[in-house]
Amino acid sequence: MELALDVPRLRAVPSEDAAAPPSLDTPDGDLLVRVGQRDRAAFELLYRRYVRSVFGLALRRLGDRHRAEDATQEAFTAIWRAASTYRPDRGPAAGWLYAVARNAVVDRFRAARPGADGELPELVSAEAGPAEQAEQSYVSWRVHRALEELQPREREVVELAYWSGMSQSEVAEQLGLPLGTVKTRTRTGLARLASLLEGELA
Amino acid sequence: MSRDPRFDELLDGEALGAERERLRRAHELLVQAGPPPELPPGLADARQLDGSPRLPRRRLQRRATLLLAAALAVLGVFFAGYAVGHHGGAGGAAGLALKGTAATPHAHATLEVLPETAGNVPMKLTVAGLPKLPAHTYYDVYLVRKGEYYLSCGTFVTAAGGRPLTVTLNAPYRLQHGDWWVITRHAPSTRGRGPVVLRPA
Repeated sequence: MELALDVPRLRAVPSEDAAAPPSLDTPDGDLLVRVGQRDRAAFELLYRRYVRSVFGLALRRLGDRHRAEDATQEAFTAIWRAASTYRPDRGPAAGWLYAVARNAVVDRFRAARPGADGELPELVSAEAGPAEQAEQSYVSWRVHRALEELQPREREVVELAYWSGMSQSEVAEQLGLPLGTVKTRTRTGLARLASLLEGELA
Repeated sequence: MSRDPRFDELLDGEALGAERERLRRAHELLVQAGPPPELPPGLADARQLDGSPRLPRRRLQRRATLLLAAALAVLGVFFAGYAVGHHGGAGGAAGLALKGTAATPHAHATLEVLPETAGNVPMKLTVAGLPKLPAHTYYDVYLVRKGEYYLSCGTFVTAAGGRPLTVTLNAPYRLQHGDWWVITRHAPSTRGRGPVVLRPA
């Protein structure tokens, strides 16, 4: 794709909320509503919160980093264009964003393979059935999004504890922190994740 | 993912009852989700758009990339010529600094590409801050060409404590302008290439 984001259409227009820019505490749903009103700052905040989730979804589905990067840009273009159709009373923003992003990824898959039905396999769990793939995909989407909400120092120890292959002692040594501090940050991070994910993935 | 950290090891029995079950659920979701992907530079830059009026446009990105590549090629030719001239035709070494990704924030390395000999390109990698890996897991040095993983240049493991380590590699192919390297972590359970742990600084 030559042009993923139509910049002139992304130009912000004045709104009633212009005096109150979105903050880090602004819920996703509120951001999405503001994006529907062409709030540029809200869009950028939403982008930062979801870009890793969208890219992860695209990468799992397409299996190629370049195509996944293009699909990610297309997904955010689609989010910008469709945000005005989002209705908070019909469900959480995360689900709406997931659906739009997934459709963009499927479109990318179809464009690359004319005639494909769009039900492309989940590359990281090819042995699973469609229902399991869909669930796995959404779990990754929500968990990666929730990780973005952690304090950087908590996210750092959680990511090291889970995906670096290091023990807690090795994480402590790596970061130059007391072991107790690493354990506290890990527990705090897990507790925060539990709160963020409560209800949605029970 | 190299391994799943044991829940009991992480908490040391600090949380009890319902709170412990909440944390266990979060733990299981983290394990199920797997690591988030490393963002490519184009998307990572967009993450730092605070206050910027525009998101990146791919056409502009590509044009900028081409201009940058052209500029680097010119600089490369200049410095290569300088090195050859300076060393009386023996050729000089070129170095690439690598920095750790989110999973290895304190890791760093330099990759020194030595003059070609008999069709081979020897390289010397000096790396520090990479954790020791579990059995059957290793680090893989990948050549990246035109934005794609091209070939593995060799593998290595590290000792505990992330102590500095020097590895000698040998690439049996000619390098091209614009080539660069990343280091990934490969585990037996990994399908395809593992996550990137070091990339150009």
